[in-house]
Formats: sequence, structure tokens, C-alpha cells
Amino acid sequence: MKYVQHINELIRTTIDNSNPIVLYGQNISAGSCISGLTRGLKNGEKRLVINTPNIESTQVGIGFGLMLSGVSSVFFMKQQDFLLLGIDHLVNTYNFVRINEPSASFTIVPVVVDSGYEGIQSSLNNFSDFCSIARIAGYAITNRHDADHIVRTHLVSPGFRIIGVSQRLFQTEILSCENDPTVYNNGEIFQYYEGADITIVCFNFSFPQGMKLREELATLGLSSSLFSVNVMTPIDWLHILRDVSRTKKLIVIDDSKSVNRSCYHLTTEVYRECSIDRVLTLTRDVTDECLRPCSEEFSIDTNSIMKTLRQ
Amino acid sequence: MFKEGTVNMKADIKVSEEIIRNRLSQMIINEMCKKKEFKIPIHLALGHESIAVAVSAVMEEDDRLVLTHRNIHYNLARNPCFKAEIDEYLLKSEGLAGGRLGAMNLANERRGIVYTSSILGNNLSVAAGMALGKKVKEEDGIVIVVTGDGAMEEGAFYEGVTFLKTCNLNAIVIVENNEWSLATRIQERRCPIHLDRFASSLDVDYVLLTGNDVYAYITALKQARREAIERNAPVIIEVKLRTLGDWRLKTEEYPDGKFINYHAGASPSIEVSEWPLIREDDSDPVFVLSRYFEIGQLRNISCDMLNRLTGEIQ
Ligand SMILES: Cc1ncc(C[n+]2csc(CCOP(=O)(O)OP(=O)(O)O)c2C)c(N)n1
Ligand SMILES: [Mg+2]
Repeated sequence: MKYVQHINELIRTTIDNSNPIVLYGQNISAGSCISGLTRGLKNGEKRLVINTPNIESTQVGIGFGLMLSGVSSVFFMKQQDFLLLGIDHLVNTYNFVRINEPSASFTIVPVVVDSGYEGIQSSLNNFSDFCSIARIAGYAITNRHDADHIVRTHLVSPGFRIIGVSQRLFQTEILSCENDPTVYNNGEIFQYYEGADITIVCFNFSFPQGMKLREELATLGLSSSLFSVNVMTPIDWLHILRDVSRTKKLIVIDDSKSVNRSCYHLTTEVYRECSIDRVLTLTRDVTDECLRPCSEEFSIDTNSIMKTLRQ
Repeated sequence: MFKEGTVNMKADIKVSEEIIRNRLSQMIINEMCKKKEFKIPIHLALGHESIAVAVSAVMEEDDRLVLTHRNIHYNLARNPCFKAEIDEYLLKSEGLAGGRLGAMNLANERRGIVYTSSILGNNLSVAAGMALGKKVKEEDGIVIVVTGDGAMEEGAFYEGVTFLKTCNLNAIVIVENNEWSLATRIQERRCPIHLDRFASSLDVDYVLLTGNDVYAYITALKQARREAIERNAPVIIEVKLRTLGDWRLKTEEYPDGKFINYHAGASPSIEVSEWPLIREDDSDPVFVLSRYFEIGQLRNISCDMLNRLTGEIQ
């Protein structure tokens, strides 16, 4: 099953159990329904589906207004870049709403347009930057397991959060592992494998790169632990630190274009807390080359990693 | 003791009392501002009392009020306890919001003030969400959102009204037009925005209120509220008013004094007194009361009120 299909089904079943609720966004029940993400959302008993005008800032404010009225909502957004227009509410309105610990749920589901060739105004993939400005809970969906947990647990639950989906992955087969991962801290960190030699930790939407790297290292005789950090605000690193203390080798992968990458929080903790042989931080080179339509590919060269590890 | 030849012989004296309470409370706060007793910025709304008292008078149980940085007049109108307001400004835990909101974000959910924003334009969207919430919950009442001639320049104003109209949501959008945004007059900062034409371009009803007659405002607001609810539509109410408390600053360049518009903090030109009149014309809501009641009667009310308020916060 495709990534987007799986998430769409999860959204529909989760929402079926949550009333009253308002589902809104631009073209969410028209045309391609955000490339299938919101297909099949229907008005129902105490469920309102609204194709709104193009008013992103107001759309974010509306979710908080609904929250203050005790009504839950999900705002689906075709492109995370447009959420920049709603930043005022993400910070200022949320700061007002959060002090009374609201019982209603408000979730924004933006598509992170990281598929490449969409141009310089359609490429913001720094999911964590949105979250860090106001300590917003944020969850990135990268595979079947985290999708299941995050959508079921967080799509409709008291409070506010952002759940990001990756456009690059939309039409790919949704990734899954043989065994269910261990879920730490209510979906902040997922551990997919435990290995003896290396700890691999993926950030933002780089789980596919981490999976591939783990498999390639395995063919070279190295067994790796594989974690994915799906939240963006400072978290409890304990489980990863324990693993790194054992393997003494850490590879972090972060595909974000931010200069404030979440992975640096982890590496700082590792240097402080663990005695470690090697830390490899794999990030994008963010240069002016990014300021033109390009592939936005973020690939990892296993051979050069092996070379570095052997040194 | 109605004044002969008054406009409305049935005018309720309690409404006038409320105008006087609102005015005196602000004057006392102004004195405290002069003495720098507050750490937080406070935007007084002297001259804005009529619309606030009228809004409070027409609000029903399920109505929701959404405010902006200049909210003191509404908070005072909705909240009979002066001390709780002062304590909030002093950031005490006994304050209206436990000392957590201060002045620029002061809300009071129990009295229907559900959201207050210090970010211009921001509250329109939140009010739109609340109006939608009412629709979903099939709840009675209306959302009333207050903004200014400066805040309505923000794109959020346009988006908010568009959304309210598109989704058939009833709401009253009050624009307090004092012609100023901080230190600039409308003519100094922008082209005119004809709110009546703006409203009609979106098929939204528009009402203009001028003259600070609180009794007339109550009648107009009741009608606007009823029609908005009947039509499931927003209505824009523009209120022309003057923020009182301006003063003249003498400098070498301006030996006769340069006009300083009151925006926030203490107004040096305002003194608290038993008869809290500031201007002898329609720009002062207190002056307008004398159309309905004898000055002597109003003065007596004011004198008692001042004693009560100062006693309350001692
Ligand atoms: C988004 C935003 N921009 C600028 C300001 C700074 N600011 C605070 S009050 C104010 C004047 C607003 O004028 P108006 O809405 O007419 O209200 P008034 O102060 O006249 O009552 C300005 C510019 C702000 N608070 N928010
Ligand atoms: Mg103004």
C-alpha cells in the first residue's frame, strides 16, 4: 500500500470515532483531495467538512477559536510553506490557548513538500523549526508503524500539535519492518532494531535513508540499532543514550534544511553523557544550489561511511 | 429626575452609572500609572466607554466577546469587581486571571470574554473559529469581536470577515475608529478604507455609530445582534470615537506645545475627580449623559461611585 493511502485510511478511521469535529482546509474534499490525503472525508452527524477560502493565517486562528469553544478540528494543508502565513497564531494564539489546558483537539496536518523540482518557494522541509518556535508538539510520519501510532494517538486528542507528512513519500510503498518497533515517550522516539555495532538515529523525514543504511551495513557484516525521532521539540534521550553507550558508534541522519537541526540536541547529549568512539552526522549541504528547482535528493554513501568508520 | 425634553424618558439610570463607573475606574488606574505602580503596559480607553457599556448591556448568556490590546473598557464593563482588575494589573494571584494575563491579553471567560489578543488582526480569526464552534455545537448566542481602525488594516481582517460571511456565521465585528494607530493619524499612514463599501462588497451589513450616546448604541446593537442571528451573517459596526487623554508637549520647536495622541500608559492631562467629565462635547460619553439626566444627579452618583471604588481597592 502507498504511504498516502495508508495515512488516508488511518485518518478516516480515527475521525469516524471523534465527534463533533470540524475538518477543514483548501480543496480537501474537491479535486485530488490533497493528492489523496483527505479523500473520502464526508459531512456527517456532528462532523463538518469545509473547503475554505485561501486564508492560511485565519485557518490557523480558526482552529484555536474552535478549541476555545470546545470543538475539535483538523486543518489539512497542501503545503507546509503556506503555514508560514499562520505563524502568528502558532505562537501567540497558542500561548493564550495553552494556559488553560484545553480539552478540545486541534491538529494541523501539512504536507512537507520535499519532493524536489517544485522550486524555491515550495521546499521548506524544516518541520522542527515550526515546532521549536513555541514548543509545539510535532510528529513526522515516515512509515507504517509511526503512522499507526501517531495518527491513532495524536490526530484527535486534547491539545494542539502538528503532524507532518512527506510529499516525497506519498506515492511510494509505505515502509514497514518485520517487527513492531518499541515506542518511547508516547511516540516521540521509535526503536525499530537493536544491533551490536552501531546506533543509527533518523530525524525529520530521513527514516528511509536510515533503513537503507542499516540494510547496507548489515551486508557488510555490521549490525545496527535503528531509531527514529519523530518529534521536534526537546525530548528525553535516555533510550538512545543507553544504546549509544553500548555500541559506542553513532550515526545521525537529518534531512532538514534548517541550521537548527534537532539532531544536534542529540549529539550534544551524547558527547556529554557517553564515552564514544565515533559520531557521524549526516546532513544536507544547504547552499545556494538549493535556491533553484532541483531534485532535493538526500542520499547517503554507505562506502564513505564505512571508510570513516574503519579509520 | 429625568431631564425635561430628554431624548428618551425611559433611559435607565443604571446604564449611566455604568459609564461613570467605567470612567472613574480608568481615572484611578491612570493615577496609579502616573505613580508607576504597574510593571505592565496599560492602554486606557477614556472616551470609549459608551460602546463598551452598550456591548455589555446587550450581551446574553451565550454571547462571546473577543478583544484587542485596548480592552480595559470592556473588561471593566463586564466585571463588577474593580479590585480583581487592579490585582490583575499588579500581577497578583488574586487578579482576574490569576495574574497570568496582565492587561493586553486580559480575558474573563466567566463573563463571556474568551479571548484577547495584543497582535493586531489576530483576534478576527479566533473569533471566526468561535463562531464556527457555535454553529457546530448548535449553541445560541453570537460572537462579538472588537478591533480598531489600525488593526483592520491587517490582512487578517479581510480574511476573517470573508470566512464569517462564507460560512454563514453570525458575528458582530466592532471597529473602534479613533483615527489613530499609535502615533499616526489615518491620513498620515494610509489611503482611506471605506468600511461601508468594503462591507457591501462582501454583502455584509454595515452600521455606523457616532455621538457616544450609550442609550442609542444599546438600541442599535440589539437590532444588529438580532438581525445577524436571524440572517446567520456577520455585521460590521464602525464606531467613531475619540480617545481622550491627549496632551501638549512643549519643546523648543513647538513652544505652544505639540499635540500628543494618547495611546498607552499614564495620561498627564487626566486627573481623577468627583465629576469625571473630560470634554464638554459629544466626544465625551460622560458629557452625553447630561442629555438624559440632571447634572446634579449624575454628580451625586459619581461622588458615591468614587468613594466606593477607592474604598474597594484600599
Ligand atoms: C501585528 C501588530 N502590528 C503592530 C502592533 C503594534 N501596535 C500596537 S497597538 C497599535 C495601534 C493599533 O491601532 P488601532 O487598531 O486603531 O487601535 P487603537 O490603539 O487606536 O485603539 C499598533 C500599531 C501590534 N500590536 N500588532
Ligand atoms: Mg485606532
